[in-house]
Amino acid sequence: MVSAPLALIAELTHRCPLHCVYCSNPLAMQSAASELSTAQWTRVFEQAGRAGSLHVHLTGGEPLARSDLVELTARARSAGLYVNLITSGIGLSEKRLTALTEAGLEHVQLSFQGVREELADEIAGARSHRHKLALSRLIRQFKLAFTMNMVVHRQNLDQLSAILAMAEELAPDRLEIANVQYYGWALRNRDALMPTRQQIEQSQATVRAAQERLAGRMRIDYVAPDYYGRYPKACMGGWGRRLMLIDPAGQALPCHAAAVIPGLTFDNVREHSLEWIWQQSPAFQAFRGEAWMPQPCRSCDRRSEDFGGCRCQAWLLTGDARATDPVCSLSPEHSLVAKIVAHANDDRVSKKFEPVSLPTAWVYRPNPH
Amino acid sequence: MTPETTSRPRLSAGCRWAEANGAERVLLFPEGAIRFEGTGREILERCDGQRTVEQIIEELQQKYSAGDPARIEEDVRNFLGQLQQKRIIDF
Repeated sequence: MVSAPLALIAELTHRCPLHCVYCSNPLAMQSAASELSTAQWTRVFEQAGRAGSLHVHLTGGEPLARSDLVELTARARSAGLYVNLITSGIGLSEKRLTALTEAGLEHVQLSFQGVREELADEIAGARSHRHKLALSRLIRQFKLAFTMNMVVHRQNLDQLSAILAMAEELAPDRLEIANVQYYGWALRNRDALMPTRQQIEQSQATVRAAQERLAGRMRIDYVAPDYYGRYPKACMGGWGRRLMLIDPAGQALPCHAAAVIPGLTFDNVREHSLEWIWQQSPAFQAFRGEAWMPQPCRSCDRRSEDFGGCRCQAWLLTGDARATDPVCSLSPEHSLVAKIVAHANDDRVSKKFEPVSLPTAWVYRPNPH
Repeated sequence: MTPETTSRPRLSAGCRWAEANGAERVLLFPEGAIRFEGTGREILERCDGQRTVEQIIEELQQKYSAGDPARIEEDVRNFLGQLQQKRIIDF
């Protein structure tokens, strides 16, 4: 076990000007009033830096919603952390970007919801696409690493070629084509987001061709939906192995979804040191090692590669957080996932969610009080 | 893509070294980090935007004078090419 998380995910707030239908924030969001103060976040960053963490991801909600973001960036940098900003870009002006860069920001990951403005804004639940385009050009003028994060799903995968063309023109260093993962709000909207098998296969071929064509100019990473995989993802690199997330109220979690798992008490940075939470707290110990694994995981050759998949997904789909992640073809409950995939590929269902037949009955993510 | 001999490789925007820690040194980049040691570290540390590829090769050949110079040149070029693919250095 590593003595400190390699990266800290600082979920600064759950406030956000967007309402993305795929948002992975928990359904039960933290209120604005409960947010950690500047001083409290500073202590967290300092502890992380001293313990040997290398990265901090400033995220949310929308981290730009924090009026102290420039100061938080400076504190994180002086604590010895590499500062990544994970943002929708809403609230970012040239002036603010200059201040953030001077404070030590090194990498901006900007989310995109599509290539067609109308659909992108529908997915985001707010007019935002045009601003992101302008922002991309602005970011390129700064000495920052720039990643474009394009969230893909059933409603926009058919536009992947146009998406790639747009990315090529905006020229980020890296493009992440991220298939939606089903937690939080994405799970509520899963029927409208789950791609067809044909969409997945087509997108993989399109991405491969673009990776070759753009090799050395833009790095393209593709994240496939794990419902379509044979084996599960090594979620977060394993429970409590590489990453620690601190939510807006200071609750320390192994990932953004773990608070849904009952029977676990997650400790708070207001009351405990980061080091104790990471190394000793019961919640972080809960799924480390192999003793907790049921069969087939416990004797599976892949157990040290994927750790049995995602605990949160196991809980959400099977009701048992210890169970093999049912996306795994070896899971005794794999039929749960097979059924969902079959439904997504049912010809009768496909027509119902054609992008042209707006509006879709989306469940939008609200703002916390 | 392997570099031109006259180009001056440098760390890409958003890539920098963390604090040195003995024999190994960690390079930080967006959402990741790689430990470098030995010759890999020596090559990457010379990607300072001042030295040309040719100079980097020569320095390594001098330092490892017992090695095969042609082999060293090939290794350095390949290594630089890989770093560029990962967008860690620019030429």
